[in-house]
Amino acid sequence: MNFMGTIKELLLVYPSMERVFLKESVNVMLTPQFYTLKKEALPVKYAYQAKKIAPSLFEGLLEESSSYEYIVFKEEEQWVFIAYDMDKIVTFLASKGIEGSMVSKIYFTQQAVDKFSAPMALGEKEALVVLDESVVVVPLSALGEEESPSLKFDKAFTPQKGVSLQGNMGSFLTKKQAYSLAGILLLFAGLFVAEGSRYSGEEGGEEELQALYEAHPSLQSSYKRDAILQKYKSIDIQERKKRDSIKKLSAMIFKGVTLTHLSMNESKHKADFTCVSANVSKKLEELAKKENYKVSKVKNSHNLNIEGTL
Amino acid sequence: MNWKQYQNELIALGALLIMLFAYMYKHNQVTTQVEEAKTLQSSIEELKEVVALKKIWADKKISKKVETLQTLVPEAKVKWSKKSKKLTASYTNLSANELNKLTTKILNLPVVITLLDVTKTGSNYKVELKCKW
Repeated sequence: MNFMGTIKELLLVYPSMERVFLKESVNVMLTPQFYTLKKEALPVKYAYQAKKIAPSLFEGLLEESSSYEYIVFKEEEQWVFIAYDMDKIVTFLASKGIEGSMVSKIYFTQQAVDKFSAPMALGEKEALVVLDESVVVVPLSALGEEESPSLKFDKAFTPQKGVSLQGNMGSFLTKKQAYSLAGILLLFAGLFVAEGSRYSGEEGGEEELQALYEAHPSLQSSYKRDAILQKYKSIDIQERKKRDSIKKLSAMIFKGVTLTHLSMNESKHKADFTCVSANVSKKLEELAKKENYKVSKVKNSHNLNIEGTL
Repeated sequence: MNWKQYQNELIALGALLIMLFAYMYKHNQVTTQVEEAKTLQSSIEELKEVVALKKIWADKKISKKVETLQTLVPEAKVKWSKKSKKLTASYTNLSANELNKLTTKILNLPVVITLLDVTKTGSNYKVELKCKW
């Protein structure tokens, strides 16, 4: 795969050129008919700074109905500004059989001004020459006898920087939109990664757990912990039930009720109550049933026997 | 198909994929940490439970604490038999107050009650207690 545009064939494109048939992608160099040139000595250091003011430099020089793009580079002490209409260029290239997909990079003849050491023929009637450090198109008839268009065009004319046409052709997004969108998405990606990394470092309860292990080193073994749980948890549950039952039975002793007998073993409890009246007996029965205890009445009395399981 | 034609879209798509991977990374980190926190919390709770159970039921001073059941009521009312980690005690002629004090004490001791029998005889109570620890 060829990533280096400079080693592709370089095709000189001018209005009167013949239609071409391309088998592989090429770089193209556009003659001055396709761009507007301006040179200015500006107190700026970088090309991107110069590029920002390019539209104002060409104000009044360009057609307002067209959309222009700019390329800026430095020639000695001057900044060179080239304004071009990419839509027109693409349309022209297509009319000459050069589809946008076949064009790798676009260059302008001004970028290779140093290479034009002699006039170069553009078809049968025109030629490219350098006048005042600018590449211009002149009629062949304007050249003197000693100025025959002897210069041959080849890929040695390829400048270092060009305009990429790929991405401008048939794209739903412009390059600027694509980079802006990608920038925003990458910003989000960065935030997600930063947030994710922050989560990976936090271990809230680790210190508490370590402190517990340090206080109880014998419990570091899970076998030992399981054995303790197995041994004491059932005892704890069962004994809490016993104590809870006694508290519930104690709560059933109120005015008119006397506990005459209470028996509790490992699995059940039984309590005998004497009640002074039917009303008291009824109230006690309700309380016992509320606790899901089994209630039985003692014959010929208001007394109750209450049983429950643990 | 000429992919170069869609290089702008590919740039945006690439960035979108990177963002999605980053989001998945973050989501994974959050989920993992929540799971780890749950596991850690569960371990802490289990450990605390083990410590608490051990403190209650494996207390080496239980045997000494059980002795208070003998001195809680007058000696004449108690028939005491303590062997190893088992206790059999009979209480007779207990007043209601004494019965309350005794049952409260029994309930607060970390012992396994194997038998608790309370019988009212006249105005007094008779208690039989069997427990182990």
